Amino acid sequence: MAGPKSSSSTPKHAPSTKPALSSQSSVALQSLWSAYHDATPSRLKFIDSFLVFLILSGVIQFVYCVLVTSFPFNAFLAGFASTVGQFVLTASLRSQVNSVNRALFKDVSPERAFADFVVGSVVLHFFVFNFLG
Amino acid sequence: MLPSLGAVCLSLFSLFSAIRARSSTGDSVLVLLQPNLSRDNFTIFFDNLEKQGYDLTFRAPKAETPRIIEDDVPGFNHIILFAPDSKNFAQDVTPQSLVTALNAGTNLIVALSPKQTPIFTLASEFSLILPPPGTPLISHFPARDTPPGVIPVSVPPVHPFLTPNTPPIWFSGIPFAHGNNPLLVPILHAPAESFASDTDSDASADVVFDYAERGGEGLWAGSSLGIVTGFQTRDSARITWVGGLELFSDEYANKPLPSGDKSGNAQFARDVAAWTFHEKLVLRIDSTTHHLVNETEPREHYTINENIAFEAHISRYDPESGWAPYSGLHDLQVDFTMLDPHIRTALLPVSDEPGLYRASFRLPDRHGVFKFVLDYRRRGWTSLQSSTTVPVVPPRHDGYPRFLSAAWPYYTGAISTSVGFLLFATLWLAGDDKGVKKGKSAKTE
Repeated sequence: MAGPKSSSSTPKHAPSTKPALSSQSSVALQSLWSAYHDATPSRLKFIDSFLVFLILSGVIQFVYCVLVTSFPFNAFLAGFASTVGQFVLTASLRSQVNSVNRALFKDVSPERAFADFVVGSVVLHFFVFNFLG
Repeated sequence: MLPSLGAVCLSLFSLFSAIRARSSTGDSVLVLLQPNLSRDNFTIFFDNLEKQGYDLTFRAPKAETPRIIEDDVPGFNHIILFAPDSKNFAQDVTPQSLVTALNAGTNLIVALSPKQTPIFTLASEFSLILPPPGTPLISHFPARDTPPGVIPVSVPPVHPFLTPNTPPIWFSGIPFAHGNNPLLVPILHAPAESFASDTDSDASADVVFDYAERGGEGLWAGSSLGIVTGFQTRDSARITWVGGLELFSDEYANKPLPSGDKSGNAQFARDVAAWTFHEKLVLRIDSTTHHLVNETEPREHYTINENIAFEAHISRYDPESGWAPYSGLHDLQVDFTMLDPHIRTALLPVSDEPGLYRASFRLPDRHGVFKFVLDYRRRGWTSLQSSTTVPVVPPRHDGYPRFLSAAWPYYTGAISTSVGFLLFATLWLAGDDKGVKKGKSAKTE
C-alpha cells in the first residue's frame, strides 16, 4: 500500500527555510503515529501491544539486574530470555499474518502461523520455567 | 593405670571398713625419712595424715623396698621425700624416677636444705632457682629469742587453699627464686626483710651490703623469694617444694610465736598436704554433650547455620563428701574448632542446675569436621580438657530455600510473559478473523 509511504513524505516539503528541530521531529512523530493508527489493521495493533508489553518487561528485568543485583543469574537469564524469545515468536507471527506479506508466505496460512507460534511459545516457556529455578 | 585401680580398690575397701577415702587419687603414701630423723620428730604431721585416712609406709632412702616404681607402675599414690641431707639413695630413687612417677600421677612433697644433694638438680627442672649451697634464709626481724635462721613467716589471710587466718609459721631452710613458668603455684613467700646468706653472724653483713649496693645483683632477699612452692604438671600431678624440713616438725608446731600465740605450723602443713594430695582445688568433667537447641539428644551430624547447644557437667572434689557438681566457674570457654577456632564463646553455668554449663551458638557457614574443645587451666586448679568431634555437613539438595527473594522481578517477568501469551492466544482465537481471510469482508471491529 502506498498510503503509509506517501503520508510520511509530506511533512518534509511543508515547512520553510529554518524550522525548529524539536517541532519538526514532533510533527514527524505525530504524523507517523496517525499514519500507523489509520493504516494498521486492529489485529496487528493487538500484536503490537503485546510486543510493547514484552519490551517493557524485558527492560525492567535488565535494569533491575544492572542496578540492584544479578544474584540468581540463572533467574535473570530465564526471565530475560522469556521476554526476548516471546518477542521473536510474536514478531514472526506478525510478519506471517500481515496481509502485506502475503506474497512472501505463500504456503503458510495464518492458522498455520498461529499454530507454529503457539507450539514455539509452549516449548519456550517449558525451558524458561526449568531454568528459572 | 594402677593408681586409679588402687584408688578404686582402696575406696571399695574403705567403704567396707568405714574409713573415708580422703584424696581423690588414692590414699597410699610413701614417706622417705632420712636416717638421722625418725617418725617421732613429726608425730603431729603424720598422725594427722593417718587420722584423715591416709595409709603411710615408712622407708629409709637407702632401703631397696618398697620401690616407688615397680614394673613400670607406680607403687604409691603420693610420696613424701623428707631426706634433704641424704646424698645416697637406693637405685630406684633418682631424679628421673621421681619425674616418671610424677608423670604417672604420683604427687610429691619434697623438702630441701642448705646442703646440695642430687635432689637439688631436680628443683631446677621445675623452674625453681636455688641459692648457692650453704646459704640459708636469715631474718633479723621481728625481734625474738631464736637464732636468725629460724624465722616466723606470716601466712596470707586470703589464699585459694590455705585456711584463712592461719597464724604465722616457723620456718628454717633455704628460699628459692621462681622462674617464669605458668605451672608454678607459689604458696608462701619469704618475709620482705629476709635474705639468704652464708652465716648468720654479722661478719657477712658487708657482703650483703655490697650486693645491695650493686643494684641487687647476686642478692637473695625480699618477698619475691618463695619458701613453699607448688608445681602442677600438665596432667595435674602436683609436687610441692618446701625450703626446710623443720616446718613439719613437732618442735616448730609446738613453739610459741614471739607474740605468744601458738604457731600455725600444724594447720599449714595439713593444708599443704591437702592441696598436694589432690584433696582441694580438684575438678573434673563428668560428661559433655551437644544437641540442637530445641532437642535433647545429640545427632550424628549437623547442617551449617543450625543453632546448637553444648553442655558440660563439671564436679569438684570435696574431701568430706566426694565429688559434687560445682557451678562456681565463671570463666569457662568452649571453642568450636576446625584447624582454627571458628567460634570461641563463654560456657556459662545454668542457674537452676548445679554443675551444668551451657553455651548456645549458630554453627558457622563452613562445613567440615569440627571439634568442641574445652581447655581450662588455672593456677592451682586441676586442668579440664575435653574434645568432642562433630561433623557439619552442607545442606542437602532440598535444604536450600526454594524461592529467593532477590529473584522476584525475574519470577514476575517470566510469569507475566506466560500469562500474557495465554491471554493473547485466547483473545486472538476469540477475536474474529477480520483481515485473516482474503476477500471476505467481515464485521468491522
